[in-house]
Amino acid sequence: MSHRRLTALALCTTLALAIYAVESAIPPLVPIPGIKLGLANIVTLILLRHTSLKDTALVTGARTLLSALLFGQLLSLLYSAAGAIFSLAFMYLVNRLLKNRYPYLTGAVGGLAHNAGQLLTALAVTATPGVLAYLPFLVLAGILTGLFTGFCAFYGDKYLLRHLRWLKD
Amino acid sequence: MNQEKQTKYAAVGIGLFLAAAALCCLLWILIPSAGGGGYTADIYQNGELIQSISLKDADQPYTFTVTGENGCYNIIEVRPGSIGIRDASCPDKLCVLQGFITDSRLPVTCLPNRLVIRLRPREEQSQSNPALPDTITY
Repeated sequence: MSHRRLTALALCTTLALAIYAVESAIPPLVPIPGIKLGLANIVTLILLRHTSLKDTALVTGARTLLSALLFGQLLSLLYSAAGAIFSLAFMYLVNRLLKNRYPYLTGAVGGLAHNAGQLLTALAVTATPGVLAYLPFLVLAGILTGLFTGFCAFYGDKYLLRHLRWLKD
Repeated sequence: MNQEKQTKYAAVGIGLFLAAAALCCLLWILIPSAGGGGYTADIYQNGELIQSISLKDADQPYTFTVTGENGCYNIIEVRPGSIGIRDASCPDKLCVLQGFITDSRLPVTCLPNRLVIRLRPREEQSQSNPALPDTITY
């Protein structure tokens, strides 16, 4: 891994972590566990559009691990890792299908997959089918917040793009 | 040109799928569940049913505490017709913020303490568990 690539990936991780830190300072809008804006996904979306899956997975993985270590507990790492893996897998497929266009659709699918993955984890952890009652709320919230972060990525990626050429080395 | 069209169709398909999913969820949330005969609250800890409380029988509000591993606790308040968590040891207190529930649409959940309170209509219980005397003496 060249120095430039390493630096660019580290900067992207820092950016995602900073966004995550700002977001975690916002009090929860609705008292349902799992619903949040997921602004750090903006970085994931932009990377997915302009770099490889490997780079995106590296940055997202590092961000998930670090955010759990800095701001959460072990249990929250389980949830965020499940959400990150689900959303990254689905966003990668959808982004390929859409040929890097319509990032807001990719974002919405990612939000939906993220929340679905977290709910499945909650189902496995609590072993209570009752948590499925949150499904409609989480699906709806995932689509809406995903659309929002998708539009943020759509309008924001030109600001990050000129730094991403380092990743081409 | 052909590929351009394919991408567009894919986008329309995904957009329609998302819209349909959102609409279904909206309907699911908005259509209320039936439950005229009052509710029974089931309290689950680590996925196991630890207590069932008939909310109709509670004519006075009262509280009790459920404790779990590592000294975690949830103080549950039962009121006539509703139930909720008063205070808890979890860091985010989302379970307390969820307030008091009066129907079976949404449970109260405390993920850190693995506690779930669900309401179910009372009829179900009376069918599966017919009224029996507590003890019989001769």
